[in-house]
Amino acid sequence: MNCLKFEENLPLFLYEELSAEERAACEAHLAECAKCRATREKTAQLHRVLAGRPRREPTAALLAESRHALEEALDGEQHGWRALFQNRLPVLRLQPASSFALGVTLVLGGFGLGWALRPHAGLLTSSPAGVNTATVTNPDLENMRISGISRVAFDPETGGVRITMDAERRVTLEGSLNDPQIQQVLVYAVKSYDNPGIRRDTLDALRSHLNNPNIRQALLYAVRHDPNAGVRLEALEAVRGMECGDDVHRTLLDALEHDANPGVRVAAVDALIDHEEKEGRDTAIQHALDQLATTDRNPYVRLKCANAMMRLGK
Amino acid sequence: MDGVCLELAGKASEQPSRVSEVDELTLIRRAQEGDRSAFDALVRLYDQNVLRLALQVVGSPEEARDSYQEAFLKVYRSLRHFRLEARFSTWLYRVVMNVCLDHLRRQNTRKEVAVPPANDGEPEYFQTVPDDRPTLNPERATHSKEIARRIQVALNRLNPRERMVFELKHYQGLKLRVIGEMCKTSEQTVKNCLFRATQKLRTELGDLV
Repeated sequence: MNCLKFEENLPLFLYEELSAEERAACEAHLAECAKCRATREKTAQLHRVLAGRPRREPTAALLAESRHALEEALDGEQHGWRALFQNRLPVLRLQPASSFALGVTLVLGGFGLGWALRPHAGLLTSSPAGVNTATVTNPDLENMRISGISRVAFDPETGGVRITMDAERRVTLEGSLNDPQIQQVLVYAVKSYDNPGIRRDTLDALRSHLNNPNIRQALLYAVRHDPNAGVRLEALEAVRGMECGDDVHRTLLDALEHDANPGVRVAAVDALIDHEEKEGRDTAIQHALDQLATTDRNPYVRLKCANAMMRLGK
Repeated sequence: MDGVCLELAGKASEQPSRVSEVDELTLIRRAQEGDRSAFDALVRLYDQNVLRLALQVVGSPEEARDSYQEAFLKVYRSLRHFRLEARFSTWLYRVVMNVCLDHLRRQNTRKEVAVPPANDGEPEYFQTVPDDRPTLNPERATHSKEIARRIQVALNRLNPRERMVFELKHYQGLKLRVIGEMCKTSEQTVKNCLFRATQKLRTELGDLV
């Protein structure tokens, strides 16, 4: 073996990828060639330097996020047009022009059908067939990283609630609203989840347990802080059914005085009248109504406040 | 091809579950018949390793996530054509490798792999790596960062195929025969690729040794 051949084999020598015969030939050459021994030593050092490159481990969050994105993409594959053509209509072989026409027809038809069959919130429906969901009865929620909530469905007949969410995998949590774990997820959804539709569905589920302190606090939080006016309105409607208390009064008063949406302010007036009629006179509320009857920027709110004052007999 | 399972796994204990080949075959058959839960189970067998490899090769978490998704979607779409006499892991990693190669080529085209100069702070790639050595001192930390940056620059200068072969050999520890199977190429071609990669790295990083 000469130096050139040794150098060609050097990476394989260091990675132990040579046959016994080739390795023996390399070692024999090394024994008699100082230059190649130096080259081997330098290359081995280079390997050690390269081995020092920090290894990146995917974080649990990245893994959960990747799995969630894949689940969504696979759902799209499974229920999308590709699946239709691959699984249901394998015999169709269309010319490009026909394909285009059929595609346009399908898109338009799909929009129409989707609109006609759009789901209604609050109905307890099953997951799409074949979607990988696991029903979790006692998950260790502390250790789960929830990356998305797909559905919150409350069944008014049984009082049960079903939450489908994506963590490291898609899971479905089912149980009573008295279950602290169910409450924990729902309170999280109301306070932190970015999809207003899910927050609203969650409020629907929570309003049957208004006397639970955690749920009460979450609903009041939604009235004050939810960025979506529709959700605030829904939360306010739920709060109307709560037992009176300072926290409820303060929240309703704040909504009346400070909420940017006139619809929410009007609903706050109705709720405050309810509470006044049940609980008696609260001078702060009467003062606020009196003032807003002349100063609110929305004429309907001003009228509503004036009517409320009359109704309360002032 | 056991090498792919064992060596790419790297940390077998991290895997949530290992199934026997028979179980895997059953999962593949069920997935080929359209059973989504079986496909999901197959994904879970390999996805941590796939994500780790993608992260190591393409660099950014976002691109690793995209590569992960693209690879598994390709596998999902083509699974019905998969022949059961072949090894699923070989096929899967071949798909992953091709996806990562495409990402590297796109990075090269967009020149996204340019590494910031040493005085421009540490690239994001290394920021997440904790360095908690007790002997840590600022001077040494700076030196380590500089070496890491130089390695990354040198690796980025390899062409995508050389980079991938070197990654699979040096960092993932796969046998050349396995890499050849994954690349659908001869072992000799892989050897040549590895030789060229080593030569280039020796030129780039020669002053570090």
